[in-house]
Amino acid sequence: MNLEFILNGRAVRLEAAADARLIDLLREPLGLTGTKEGCGEGECGACTVLVDDRPVNACLLLVMHVAGRSVVTIEGLGSAAAPSTLQQRFIDLGAAQCGFCTPGMLMSATALLWRNPHPTRDDVREAIAGNLCRCTGYDAIIEAVLAAARDGVAP
Amino acid sequence: MHNPSIDGARHVPAEDAPAKVCGELRYATDLTRPGLLHACLVLSPHGHADVLDIDATEVLALEGVVGVYSHANAPDTPYCRYRILPGQPGCIDDEALFARTVRCVGDRVAAVVATTRHAARTAALRLPVRFRLKDVLLDAEAALADGAPPIHPGGNLVHEFAHAATCDGVPAGTGITMQSDVATQMLHHAALEPHTCLADWDAAGRLTIWSPCQSVYGVRTVVADLLQLPYSRVRVIKVPMGGSFGGKQEAILEPITAFLAMRSRRPVQLTLDREQCVRATMVRPAQRSHVRTVTSRDGRLLELEVDTLLAAGGYASSSPDYAEAMAKKVTRLYRIGRYRHAGRVAYTNTPVAGGMRGWGAPDIATCVEIHLDRVARVHAINPLELRRRNLVAALDVDPMSGMSVGDARVGDCLERGAQAFGWANRFATEPGSGRYRRGVGLACGAHKNGMYRPDSPDSSSMTLKMNEDGSLDLNATIHEVGAGSLPTLRGIVARVLDVPVGHVSAGEADSETSPFDFGCFGSRMTYVCGAAAHAVANELLGLLRRRAAALLGAEPSTLVPRNGHLHAPDGRALSYGEVVVRSRMADGSDLIVTHTYRARSNPGSYSVQFAGVEVDTLTGLVRVTDMVCTVDIGRALDRTRVEGQCRGAIQAGIGSALCEEVRLDEAGRPASGGFRSYHIVNAADMPPVTVVLVEHEGDDGPFGAKSVGEIAAVPTTAAVVNAVNHALGTSLSTLPLTPERILEALDAEHHP
Repeated sequence: MNLEFILNGRAVRLEAAADARLIDLLREPLGLTGTKEGCGEGECGACTVLVDDRPVNACLLLVMHVAGRSVVTIEGLGSAAAPSTLQQRFIDLGAAQCGFCTPGMLMSATALLWRNPHPTRDDVREAIAGNLCRCTGYDAIIEAVLAAARDGVAP
Repeated sequence: MHNPSIDGARHVPAEDAPAKVCGELRYATDLTRPGLLHACLVLSPHGHADVLDIDATEVLALEGVVGVYSHANAPDTPYCRYRILPGQPGCIDDEALFARTVRCVGDRVAAVVATTRHAARTAALRLPVRFRLKDVLLDAEAALADGAPPIHPGGNLVHEFAHAATCDGVPAGTGITMQSDVATQMLHHAALEPHTCLADWDAAGRLTIWSPCQSVYGVRTVVADLLQLPYSRVRVIKVPMGGSFGGKQEAILEPITAFLAMRSRRPVQLTLDREQCVRATMVRPAQRSHVRTVTSRDGRLLELEVDTLLAAGGYASSSPDYAEAMAKKVTRLYRIGRYRHAGRVAYTNTPVAGGMRGWGAPDIATCVEIHLDRVARVHAINPLELRRRNLVAALDVDPMSGMSVGDARVGDCLERGAQAFGWANRFATEPGSGRYRRGVGLACGAHKNGMYRPDSPDSSSMTLKMNEDGSLDLNATIHEVGAGSLPTLRGIVARVLDVPVGHVSAGEADSETSPFDFGCFGSRMTYVCGAAAHAVANELLGLLRRRAAALLGAEPSTLVPRNGHLHAPDGRALSYGEVVVRSRMADGSDLIVTHTYRARSNPGSYSVQFAGVEVDTLTGLVRVTDMVCTVDIGRALDRTRVEGQCRGAIQAGIGSALCEEVRLDEAGRPASGGFRSYHIVNAADMPPVTVVLVEHEGDDGPFGAKSVGEIAAVPTTAAVVNAVNHALGTSLSTLPLTPERILEALDAEHHP
């Protein structure tokens, strides 16, 4: 199918199989390998991206469902040279250990801060409940999100 | 030796942290090469069967398929995935690239190589394989029963041992005998990054393997021996790793990916999906231990006997050493009049078992600590007091290894943890009698610091080079698992030479260029490799002082390193860069040293943990309300990182107590899917954890530091189980404590 959507703020137009998974489209033809595949069944959240500002598992979503919509991936938040506030807090507070769950974690947390700039600790726990991490025990991640909220600038 | 102190309160982010949080770090699954092919494995759906025939004709005709491999067209040399050194004792060569007889669900039957991932997967699903089914043995006991059909030609007993040790300080006498049976389950390591490997074969006949592994030299040994290549023709490069927890410590995908690249004469990438990771990599072994103690009236451990039966799965791998490791922990923790540990390891038609974080220490701690809570109850002693009366003290000699436990502070862990948790009051509080019951539990654990034993060395070689601007390159075989080995070692070098940590670079392991090191396991990174970094930095500092002394006409020992300069007593100073440049111009000499550090001790590492739980007696669900994690850390080099290790360990330990299990049906099939049927603790269920670090000096680690990543994972499971048993007045000891098991125990209580 001829697919048009907004990717990280820019219009994209390309030919894609309608039944391709969004994660495969992002990682292979588009080269956005920051979105990770941890389980392929929507359980681990490593592939979380934002579709119209809502966190979605890119391993479960078919590309036809993003037609005409806005998709934000980890590459759309910031870059190593200029990380977002939230990304910087992840760096400062040791919230990324192996780093494989980190992009998905950041997407869920960013969506939270967009809709709720002043979350409680429980709000954060709830928002990242679908993102599994085996390294950190989650605490540093939660602290980083709360610190970014305290910073008070756009995540 | 120059040994300044270190500020553990300062967190030094890893150099690649910005790339990680921005999705720019390239993991193995993100790598590509020109002409890259993709492989997909065909795994056995049967627990035990002969592979009769594989008809590849139709599949080979599919678009994109370039090759189909199985035992019919691949070497069948048996190998051991666990091997690091040729001739290594304890390695059993019982596995081949492809099985003629499959010995577990997930055993490798064939591999398809194709131009796209999709084509490889489609073809793998379509490959017709005929099997002749055989009897399936899922339980170690059944596998060792008389007349059980052999899983391997030599029978099902892989290994057996019996070790004993006596402790002089414990008075003899008679006491109360108690026995327990504790069973721990198969666990999936659950690194978020699936198993993956990339290999290429070049025109010059060299193999290059990019792998998120824990030992490039181990992978090299296994692959080169199997494919009959000189070691210098197999280059293994450690790439960023999305977690391991021991699951990537053995050569699982590397041999087959290397073989496929060599045959295809093109680069090949092999990545497993999550279900394949559960079935076809390795699991923590299921084991059952019978624990028997004799305790004096005042709660001293007169005797402790353990009998362990461990299921290796379809291939031996590291299970013999893993079971042996279980026998080496308890006498580092408690003074026991007479300790005896016997073990048997059996082949079973279950997923291949192997090392996991803690390597036997969590398993044995779970068995002994659950039992000791029963002992405490029978003696009517507070569980804390029972431990207090039996724990080792600093400088005790572990009778099993003959080594000193070093400056062991497990007693401090117990006392400070109890205080932070409020143990005295909380243990005395009644669990309640309504729907929700509250309980508390504690458990102690011991582990090690490296692989040194009097009869077996542990060493690490590192090269440190100083550049003309005074910056440094550390060349070492480092395997960053995400825990922070790289920044830790860089920080040690920076501190010894007093330069900013940003002036020290260190790459990861590359078997072609970095000096030999065993790899990242055995809790040896900080204590052994960190000490090696400390030693190589000191050696370079010595050389730097001698060169600078010659240039300044001063005595080398009087020169003080400070902020990238050597300062003479008369106020003159030379920057490191000046020393390098002027030495080079004066006589062509260089500032580079290679140091082989040999460990000379292996003190105990310790953790005592406390858990509070709330059990819903209606549903059988357990909520862990809070935990305290104490660690005898020696010195925390970076407190943020140490706490991260503790909390991550607790996440896994709670899972193994309550919900994690690779469950098999009667045919030996794991439940389908990955995290759909294997639940790990998420952020919503994770309790607050207070970390208490006991810091002191007195051991040989860099700046006094000891290990943390494994020891923090040792007592968690037992602490949670003990809390549940305290809440319910039960003696649950078969893990995990699922709602079904809890309700069954409550039922038995009401209807005995």
